[in-house]
Amino acid sequence: MTETPCREVPLDEWAGALSAARSEGFDFFDWLTAVDQMDAEDSPGFDVVCHLMNSSTGRGTLARVLLRTRVPSGQSLASATTLWSGSAWHERETHEMFGIDFAGFEDGTGLGLRPLLLPNGFDGTPLRKSFVLAARASKAWPGAKEPGEGAPSHGAAHTEKPGRRKITAPGVPDTTWGPR
Amino acid sequence: MPSVGMLNDDAPRPIKVVLNWGRRYSLWVFNFGLACCAIEFIAASMARHDFIRLGVIPFAPGPRQADLMVVSGTVTDKMAAAIRRLYDQMPEPKYVISFGSCANSGGPYWDSYCVTKGVDTLIPVDVYVPGCPPRPEALLQGIIRLQEKIAAETLSTKGMRAKYAGSRRATAAEVTRPLLTQAQVTPEVSPRIAPQITPSPVSVGHAGEQS
Repeated sequence: MTETPCREVPLDEWAGALSAARSEGFDFFDWLTAVDQMDAEDSPGFDVVCHLMNSSTGRGTLARVLLRTRVPSGQSLASATTLWSGSAWHERETHEMFGIDFAGFEDGTGLGLRPLLLPNGFDGTPLRKSFVLAARASKAWPGAKEPGEGAPSHGAAHTEKPGRRKITAPGVPDTTWGPR
Repeated sequence: MPSVGMLNDDAPRPIKVVLNWGRRYSLWVFNFGLACCAIEFIAASMARHDFIRLGVIPFAPGPRQADLMVVSGTVTDKMAAAIRRLYDQMPEPKYVISFGSCANSGGPYWDSYCVTKGVDTLIPVDVYVPGCPPRPEALLQGIIRLQEKIAAETLSTKGMRAKYAGSRRATAAEVTRPLLTQAQVTPEVSPRIAPQITPSPVSVGHAGEQS
C-alpha cells in the first residue's frame, strides 16, 4: 500500500484547505489529532493532522489525504465543525489532550470546547510531552523494572550486573523532581 | 441486614456449615469487564473452562442480583465512580475478585495519567488474580480460593456490619433513583447532536444510571 499523500498547510489557510479538499471529493472526515512538536528545531508547536477520505472511490482504491499544519503554542486553529459536524468530538479531544483552541467551534449545544474523555476536574493536558507522569514519583511501582529485581533469588547480590543502564519510562520524572 | 445473618447468629455449627456451603456454591457473578481480561473471564464462563461447575453462575442481571463482582481490566479514574456505585448496589454479603494486573495495581499503565492504581483503592477486594491477562485456569483457582474463604467465615450480623463498615458509603435508599419522567427522557431542545442527560447535582442520589 502506498503512503497517504500529505498536504502541508499554513496555519491561516487551514479552513480554506479543508473546504478545498472537501470540494475535491474528500467528503468523509475520518479523524483529527495533534502531535507534540514543541522540541522541534524550527518553529516549535503542535502538528494538527486531519485525515480525509473520498467516499465515492471504490473499496481498495479509496482515495485518502492527510492535511497537516503547525500550530505554535498559544495560537488557535480554525474549527472544522462547520464542514463536518462529526469533527466536534475530535476537536474536543485534541483540545483537552493538547490544549489547542479551535476558533469557531460549534457542535450545536452552544457549550463550546469542553472536556470529552477526561474525568471531571482533571487539570492539565496529558498528551503534551511536558506533562509530568507523577505516579511513579509519588508511589513506587509495585512491579520489577529490571531483570532480576524484586525477587531475590539465591545469591542474587553478586550475580547482579553492576553497569546496567536504568530504564525510565518516557515522561516519568527523575529523582530530583518535585516534593515527595 | 439480610435474615441469613441473623439466622447465623444463633444457628448451631452444622447449620452454619450448611449456610456457608450454600453461599459458596451459588455465587451469581457480575462481570465488570473493562479490557482484555474480560475476554479471559468470558472464556472461563464458556464450555471449555466452565466455571458453572464451581457454582459460579453467569451472569447476574445486574449488581442488585449479584454476590460476586469480578473486576477484569484496566480501571480508569473516569470509571472509578461507576465501580464504586455498582459495588454499593450489590446486596451483602458480597465478594470482589480483582482479575489481572491492571485491576490489581494499575499494571503496565502505572505511569498513565488516567489509570487508577488498583481497584482496591476504591472497593475492598477478597481475592487478587495476577497475570496479564491471567489464564482462565487462574480465575478458577481464584474462585476456589474465594470459596475456601467463604467456607471459613462466620457471617454473623455483627461480623457483617464490621466487615462492610469501612466500605459502606451509601445506603440502599441513596443509590436508588426515582422513575424517569417524560420531561427527562425527551430533550427540551433538540439540536443536531442529542444533549447528554443533564448531570444531577446530587452525588449518588438521583442520576439516571440504569442498572
